[in-house]
Amino acid sequence: MLIPRKVKHRKQHSPNRSGAAKGGTKVNFGEYGIQALEHSYVTNRQIESARIAMTRHIKRGGKIWINIFPDRPLTKKPAETRMGSGKGSPEWWVANVKPGRVMFEMSFPNEAVAREALRRAIHKLPMKCRIVTREGSEF
Amino acid sequence: MSEVRLTVEQRTEFGKGAARRARRAGKIPAVLYGHGADPRHLSLPAVEFARVIRDNGQNAVLTLDVAGAEKKAEKATELALTKTITVHPLKNYIEHVDLLVVHRGEKVTVDVPLVLTGDPAPGGLVNQDLDALQVEVDALNIPEQFEVSISGAEIGTQILASQVQLTAGATLATDPEHLVVSIYEAPSEAAMEAEVDTEGAGVVEDKPETEGGENASAE
Repeated sequence: MLIPRKVKHRKQHSPNRSGAAKGGTKVNFGEYGIQALEHSYVTNRQIESARIAMTRHIKRGGKIWINIFPDRPLTKKPAETRMGSGKGSPEWWVANVKPGRVMFEMSFPNEAVAREALRRAIHKLPMKCRIVTREGSEF
Repeated sequence: MSEVRLTVEQRTEFGKGAARRARRAGKIPAVLYGHGADPRHLSLPAVEFARVIRDNGQNAVLTLDVAGAEKKAEKATELALTKTITVHPLKNYIEHVDLLVVHRGEKVTVDVPLVLTGDPAPGGLVNQDLDALQVEVDALNIPEQFEVSISGAEIGTQILASQVQLTAGATLATDPEHLVVSIYEAPSEAAMEAEVDTEGAGVVEDKPETEGGENASAE
């Protein structure tokens, strides 16, 4: 699973969830991609799960790119603990994803298979998403 | 590339409020600049401009008839090239357009789209590094696209920018050694699965905070 190798501070403030993605809104590496339509924290487990869903479906002959990295720690206080006594311990590693961000990209010769693989991956993610292509939709 | 005539208006009010009002009215805020002249703020008809770009590509040369330019003693007709189109990432409408003034007979540097044709040899996967090739070309003779054939290309084939067939009069502005497209062997099922555990192993964090360190001193 994706985890930072080294961090400067173990505990951080919760990432800002407002606004839209400033970059990474187009498909740059593969032919198809998954674009987020809502804000969400995507955990490293969800990223891995989506990647496996895609890999298992296309089996071979394709390539997958992951454009997000879970570099923000979220903390949690233990159950049945009184308030105070400092911040809880890191529990999850998340990527702070904003609307418009292309999170995964895929290159595969058969479009129907690629779309099905991406559809399966979308089910593993915590927000509404859509499939986008390199050519993009016309305005 | 064809020349397209478009009737545009001068913008008199600026800022995000005015821009949003213009978009609601079916207009696109735009700016026209180049050749040392003062920038001119325009509003383009949204539907017509989108149709022009769809039909003729981003490198269409536009002949702009600026309505209301005579009153301000400015040029009523301008020849322009689309420099940048800002599109909303989610809703796919044009938010803003940058237009560049061009003169007849002038050479301009533009990005011409690259289109791959054909399928590579079985077992090969296409990796397109460049979507467009930067070329220097006459402003009124901009090619719509360059075609790169990859039909039957073997695994390991690499096509560089210098190997792309350009049209007459076009000079390559991109680095000639820049990789355009490569064909590599599609990874096997085992290789794709093996990616799972290779990253993130052995996390090294900063030294753990001392028990109640800061809180203890505050109390």
